[in-house]
Amino acid sequence: MDAGKYSPDETDELARSRQVIESQAEEITRLRSRLRIEPFAEQLREALSVASMAGTIASPVTHARLLEMIVETAAHVISARAGSLFLIDEKSQHLTFEVAIGGKAQEVRRFTVPLGHGIAGLVAVSGQPMAISDAAHDPRQASDIARSLGYVPGSILCVPLFYNDQVIGVLELLDKEGSESFTPQDMETLGLFANQAAVAIEQSRTHRYLGSLIAEIVQSLGTLPEHHKASLAEQMKEFADSVAADASYRQATELALLVQEIAWQGESEMRACRSVLLAFADYLRSRPANLSDMGSF
Amino acid sequence: MVLRPAWSQQFAPGVLNELQPILPLDALTEDWAWGGSTGKGVRVAIIDSGIEASHPAVGGPVQGYISISSGPQGLVSDTSPHEDAYGHGTACAGIIRSFAPECELYSVQVLGPALTGTGMVFAAGLRWAIENGMHVCNLSLGTTKREFFALLHELADMASFRNIMLVTAANNMPIPSFPAMYASVISVAAHEGKEPGVFYYNPRPPVEFGAPGIDVRVAWRDGGWITATGNSFAAPHISGVVARILSKHPDLNPSQMKVVLRALSANMTHTTARMHSPGERNP
Repeated sequence: MDAGKYSPDETDELARSRQVIESQAEEITRLRSRLRIEPFAEQLREALSVASMAGTIASPVTHARLLEMIVETAAHVISARAGSLFLIDEKSQHLTFEVAIGGKAQEVRRFTVPLGHGIAGLVAVSGQPMAISDAAHDPRQASDIARSLGYVPGSILCVPLFYNDQVIGVLELLDKEGSESFTPQDMETLGLFANQAAVAIEQSRTHRYLGSLIAEIVQSLGTLPEHHKASLAEQMKEFADSVAADASYRQATELALLVQEIAWQGESEMRACRSVLLAFADYLRSRPANLSDMGSF
Repeated sequence: MVLRPAWSQQFAPGVLNELQPILPLDALTEDWAWGGSTGKGVRVAIIDSGIEASHPAVGGPVQGYISISSGPQGLVSDTSPHEDAYGHGTACAGIIRSFAPECELYSVQVLGPALTGTGMVFAAGLRWAIENGMHVCNLSLGTTKREFFALLHELADMASFRNIMLVTAANNMPIPSFPAMYASVISVAAHEGKEPGVFYYNPRPPVEFGAPGIDVRVAWRDGGWITATGNSFAAPHISGVVARILSKHPDLNPSQMKVVLRALSANMTHTTARMHSPGERNP
């Protein structure tokens, strides 16, 4: 662009605009890199690996703890006083409260909300995140849960949890500390966080289901009438189908099977495989993060 | 007879229509674009959660209703008047009417109390709007399900070829949402400005336009108001502006509309354009 054709004022204005755009770009880059190094991302990764470990996957406590951790870390990073996580129950078309922290958390756990109500319901059906900064001025507009509890938050930030392009639930934070409203940056950060959280939740759910299924089979083997065995077989088929339909799970399983096959070849093959994978992981860790796979708006 | 490949027939001699010249782009002014217009004669479909017609922000009747939902036998539609299941559609209607008070509003309710079949219901709502003479469709929602990519793309192209403006809210989640990602739609995200009617052009798509959508006061269900943040509230700003422009220039096609919007965007160095509500005087 030829700046010479503009008056000095216009040139200043252009320079200012450029500065604003540049600083915004920097802010976004900073946020994204922060997201990768913040402790919550680390905690989430740990929670996920814990949830995946053999021996603990069958325990529902681990799954509940994972959900709790998601809300805790989100509330901590965004500085919210309270927060909750809802998952969609496809059968009843309700949002069920899985976790609530802060304020009157114990009371919150009792509720389920029909999808047709409240901010959480709207975010679940529209897939669009939303923030409200004056919920307290008109309690009718606050979410059902807030109303039922007699706790009306001042501000609400609610984002959908996406897994495989589907909304599986919503993550809602209440009352930003030290501010009247959540910022657009909070929305972006929570959106990125929600994406990681949704993956962790789905994988943990799959593992949990697998765990309880195995437990059921072990308990019932040999003692069950034929029709119950048929129902178990049906359940197993359903599970196998759901796993087969999940590309990420399939890829992970394929990888695990490959490693297993190599391990069966012998000790030295296993050691070689391990050192190759470790070296590759080290290389990836040392490489600057590739951000190009993240869409931004 | 000359055999022409498909799509060429419309360019054959005698078939091709003569085009009226468009004014030189840099001569576009807000007065030319929307001065004196109230959106009269423009039909705007709000594909959303319904509209609460009695809300003061909507400021007048809603001209038509259709509610689409997914039933056991497939999709079901109902053209009797409905309310707003959430308040989201009423918020959009209020914003659009604040710029184009005389535009006709059609409530296409696709966000109901259930998630079942949302993608199909949404596509059916869009198809209804395209096939029933709408001029502008406000889409403050979208789907992230890739299985609907092709179907929605076909509908977006159909709308574009029929000169129907699809104004879509970009999803601020790090996940692509359709139809906001398509080239033929007018894709909008929120900017931090508070002044109604100030919009910006982003020369680096997919999201081409920015409009107020952060901490904006919007109408909500049961006659209420909330201060909310979301791209959902930025899109109707542009829909309102588009309705007003279209009322004066009904022959503009979506590409030309983008050119007009770009020329009058607030970050264009030679313009101080701002869409005022019709009651106000432009400075």
